[in-house]
Amino acid sequence: MKLSLGETTPAEADAAASASPAAPAASLTVAGRAFPTNRGGLCKKGWTAAELLVSPDRILEPMVRQNDGTFAATSWSHALDLVAAKLRVTRAEYGADAVGVFGGGGLTNEKAYQLGKFTRVALGSSRIDYNGRFCMSSAAAAGNRAFGLDRGLPFRVDELDTADTILILGSNVAQTMPPFIGHLEGARAAGGLVVIDPRRTATARLTDDGAGMHVQPTPGSDLVLLLGLTHIVIVEKLVDRGYLANRTTGFDAVRRCVSRWWPTRVQEQTGVPVWQLRQLARRLAAGAARGAATGSGTYILTGRGVEQHADGTDTATAAINLSLVLGLVGTTHSGYGTLTGQGNGQGGREHGQKCDQLPGYRKINDPVARTHVAGVWGVDPDSLPGVGLPAVELLGALGEPGGIRCLLVHGSNIVVSAPNADQVRAALKTLDFLVVADFFFSDTAVLADVVLPVTQWAEEEGTMTSLEGRVIRRRLAVNAPEGVRSELWIWQELARRLDSAGTFSSQASEVFDELCRASKGGLADYSGLSYALLDTEEPVFWPYPVGSTGTPRLFLDRFAHPDGLARLVVVEARRLGAPAQVGGTLTLITGRLLEHYQSGTQTRRVRELSDAQPEARLQLHPATAEQFGISDEAWVEVSTDRGTVRCRAQVSTDIRFDTVFLPFHFSDDQRANLLTDDETDPVSGMPEFKKTTVRVRALVKAGAHV
Amino acid sequence: MSERSTSQMQNPERIVLVGYGPVGARFVEELLPLVRRGVATLTVVGAENTDAYNRVLIAEHAVGNADRDSLEITDTFAAREAGVHLHLGVSVTAILRSRSAVSLSDGTLLTYDRLVLATGARANIPTLAGIIRVRRDRQMPAADAAALDTGGATLPRGVTVLRDLDDAQRVLAAVTAGKRIVVLGAGVLGMEIALAAASAGAQSCVVYHGEIPMNRNLDRGGGNVLAQSARRAGVTMVNHSRAESLLFHRDDDGVDRFDALICADGKQIHGDLLLLSCGVGARTELAQLAGLPVSTGILVDSNLQSWGDPRVYAIGDCAHVAPVRRAGESTALPTGGPSGLIEPGWRQADWLARRFSNEVLGAGEVHALIGAAAGVVMLKAEGVEVVSVGNTVADPWVHGADGHAAACDAAPLNVSQWADPEHGRYVKMVTRAGILEGFVCVGMPRTAAELTLLFERGSELPADRSVLLRYDGPDYEPSVAGAFDMGATVCWCNGVTVGAIAESAEVGNTSVACIGAATRAGTGCGGCKMRIGEVLDRFATFGAMS
Repeated sequence: MKLSLGETTPAEADAAASASPAAPAASLTVAGRAFPTNRGGLCKKGWTAAELLVSPDRILEPMVRQNDGTFAATSWSHALDLVAAKLRVTRAEYGADAVGVFGGGGLTNEKAYQLGKFTRVALGSSRIDYNGRFCMSSAAAAGNRAFGLDRGLPFRVDELDTADTILILGSNVAQTMPPFIGHLEGARAAGGLVVIDPRRTATARLTDDGAGMHVQPTPGSDLVLLLGLTHIVIVEKLVDRGYLANRTTGFDAVRRCVSRWWPTRVQEQTGVPVWQLRQLARRLAAGAARGAATGSGTYILTGRGVEQHADGTDTATAAINLSLVLGLVGTTHSGYGTLTGQGNGQGGREHGQKCDQLPGYRKINDPVARTHVAGVWGVDPDSLPGVGLPAVELLGALGEPGGIRCLLVHGSNIVVSAPNADQVRAALKTLDFLVVADFFFSDTAVLADVVLPVTQWAEEEGTMTSLEGRVIRRRLAVNAPEGVRSELWIWQELARRLDSAGTFSSQASEVFDELCRASKGGLADYSGLSYALLDTEEPVFWPYPVGSTGTPRLFLDRFAHPDGLARLVVVEARRLGAPAQVGGTLTLITGRLLEHYQSGTQTRRVRELSDAQPEARLQLHPATAEQFGISDEAWVEVSTDRGTVRCRAQVSTDIRFDTVFLPFHFSDDQRANLLTDDETDPVSGMPEFKKTTVRVRALVKAGAHV
Repeated sequence: MSERSTSQMQNPERIVLVGYGPVGARFVEELLPLVRRGVATLTVVGAENTDAYNRVLIAEHAVGNADRDSLEITDTFAAREAGVHLHLGVSVTAILRSRSAVSLSDGTLLTYDRLVLATGARANIPTLAGIIRVRRDRQMPAADAAALDTGGATLPRGVTVLRDLDDAQRVLAAVTAGKRIVVLGAGVLGMEIALAAASAGAQSCVVYHGEIPMNRNLDRGGGNVLAQSARRAGVTMVNHSRAESLLFHRDDDGVDRFDALICADGKQIHGDLLLLSCGVGARTELAQLAGLPVSTGILVDSNLQSWGDPRVYAIGDCAHVAPVRRAGESTALPTGGPSGLIEPGWRQADWLARRFSNEVLGAGEVHALIGAAAGVVMLKAEGVEVVSVGNTVADPWVHGADGHAAACDAAPLNVSQWADPEHGRYVKMVTRAGILEGFVCVGMPRTAAELTLLFERGSELPADRSVLLRYDGPDYEPSVAGAFDMGATVCWCNGVTVGAIAESAEVGNTSVACIGAATRAGTGCGGCKMRIGEVLDRFATFGAMS
């Protein structure tokens, strides 16, 4: 049987699956299919995604930890009885907030929605958040602040094809989302692809040979860089005055604020020379002007490299300010967007997995929103809890007095993906009870009291929402192995055991219909959608209120604030200064490899992928390597006060000499997040992932491995 | 509300700020939260009849590269809304310390609990026959501070300094009209104006004493390369020239206008505008008249508190930070002085506002203000870029470079140097234990940017210093060279290399489609299909040859 894929990552790969159900999984092969976002192209991760369905590592029955620490298989009814009993006792003894829930950006819309509802209604707990906090939260906060609405790309992804100029900040799409680079061809042909990254990544190399420019600032200086670019645009009179007057508010304050960032001062902080700053600012403006004339304009795209900082919201805001000053957003030729990181990174952040959110991108502390959603759920609005804790705080509350005693984890591997990971691991061990739903014994699942085996992408129905706000169907292609269940079914069963109010359907289509009703009137309004409509394969983009035909391009007439204007928000670079880099002190940045996805729980189990990248390697510059007696492939030790990673070195001129890079896909003592700090952004709760001061040393002098 | 804060609301701390330049404005902004809470009042006196503007960009403004709007730096409206009282276009005539008050030129008397002086600096006027100067007696300043600032010092027509907006207008008029501009003094401001004027089509000429321009910042090598680059950019560089007097011609209205600068050796340099760019001096007269100790600036300790009065503070270009002299120490005035750079001034403004806030609110102590490291000086003009800081004169051939100190200090001073005057490039790195104590970088912007970062952070340089030079090399941006190396990636989506395609072709996969089926190359975005074809063609050619 052939399974055709329309997306890129394993979690997204099912998007366009077409098959008759009940085929044996072992006979599945993957094939490409024409689809506007990837045009039938897949990367290694997509091609090999079917292997995961038949992986020998799959958990095929509920597992319960025994007194001796080992796991034993059990029946679903026993496992669920056990979990429900523990949830009941914990709530009775410590209160509803003693139960926490941690979700994931890879869950379908239906699951993300149902998980939020399950937590608020069946558990009565406010304490839910998810790994999207580590992913899209800064860009989302900045987008909401500026535009009144957050959709990754407020335009269709294939509209990038005709762009004159595309600025990509902190994203290595050529490896993280390879089929996407087809949309950069137009800008490359026009010499207008600009990539800002401390590393000379595969994406940065796309600017070679006259295709554009690579700008290589020191890590963590992106905010200053953006303030400086805005300054140049203003001083050189490249601003779109008419646009600013008609469509925005707050320009004067931003103008005064960026006037502190003249080019030489920016050079001092970023390491980017003045000529390059000017050239870049002028190119962005020229592209915008060309866009107005010919329709081929300038797009500014941000990624995690600039957003995953303790000032990530401000940095994304600075990118938006630059876009607004140039008059890019809400036009037919240009735009600003953020490149969504997880399989369902967009949909996952719209329907209630966030600690302060209800379906439809509503605020949980908004009385009108509570009344509406409670009405759909058939519960009293006053019974809904209030705002919970964002991810890092939630994890910080594990096992603490008044904190969380019992945690449910869905679609996330926090022992690998959370900052200061060893502290998270230690905190998980202090819990009374840990339940993890996964396909495999992930690093988090091995710590659980109960592990619930769940369905994978080809084994379930559902929807996902892509970075362009396109709602896509996931279809059942093969039946799940005996003993594996969907989370929707699990929550239905648990809700029943907990005598919960409301209804919890296990049918994705019913949950979707309810989601659509719950989202009605919200920012992310899905009320005009149904499986029947999605199955026609018509492209649909939210907001899609009843009676509309959706919104491929947002903000053409107005922004989502009540006055219709976009906000330029003053942001300042307050986190200047960095420690002296002496004796092996360097700045660590983390990121992805082509072959792996997230914590690697899935991709490390695909032979072809793990053979290509079997272990973490620390990338560093030859001059730095020479200085500290490190040779290529030799063992190094990277440490902070929080933890130590031991791995091999990868010596390369593709990185600044003051920077080292570690991929975050590996487990045990190769977890990059052993090193990262759990300090967070005051607005978004995003941790500081991309500017960690570390000490690097050669582990052994001459070759031999310790 | 606690007793303390109730009494604060009734008796808010009265803070008076003299000076509304960029540093004063920063101080105001940082103090706004305190003012909004009603526990302090802030009154600002500014002599210029305008909102604070970014003086750092005045040279850009003067050559037409930055308009007036883009000099705006603060939201005066927001300050007023928060309750700050602003007296603009008014100067302070005296500090009456015994009455804790300052008197203003409009007759107002303002009482203070804390007085902050941010009076800045003024351009130095050199002694030249033809220019009437105000005398500033070091020991006994004239009684009228306001007169000192402006009165009697009107420069002749066609002669200007460059410090405020009016000056900038005069320079801009000359630049846009393509006039002949004579710049006296080859400091960073003078050089920038001369270079910018030349690139804007005006004729410019720099006249200076020594052998090299920017001699306070550059060593001989860097200075010579700069002079050469400036000449190439069309600026006439006249060194070893001590200016003595001015020649004038008479305008139609009977007023004298600058005609030529005459040097000690008799040389005459004709021009339409003479720009005096001879450094700046702190405005210290108010403090001095009030009996406060001054040297190069108003003397303050590391807490920015006047040596002579704990209720008086100074920040920015008027402040000379030096440890208070203790009994028995030399009575000579301390050396050093204001840096003349904005960054240290802003740091002082931030710190002082934080300290005031903590003190008024009874919060804890603030961390000590870290003395500014030497300021990085950057000259930026079209095609000519100079960055320098710290010790730049050390010589690579003196053992340990700093001679005597080498014997005492554990780590000697070392110098690495790259000189390529023919191409306008020069780098000198002065290090101790691998850490920069100073550097000069001319004509190598990326190298300069990296050296600046390394200096600012106190980071160790790569042991192979030449790594830093390569940033400006043409090979830094890798290109097609090596596109057919076996290890070069062809398909990014699936990580397929030239080698893998060649290998696959060897076993019979000789079309793009076959390669795709066998290796997945080209099955992602498809952008590499043409390259796969190129690799196959090349392989086929080589295969046929062998």
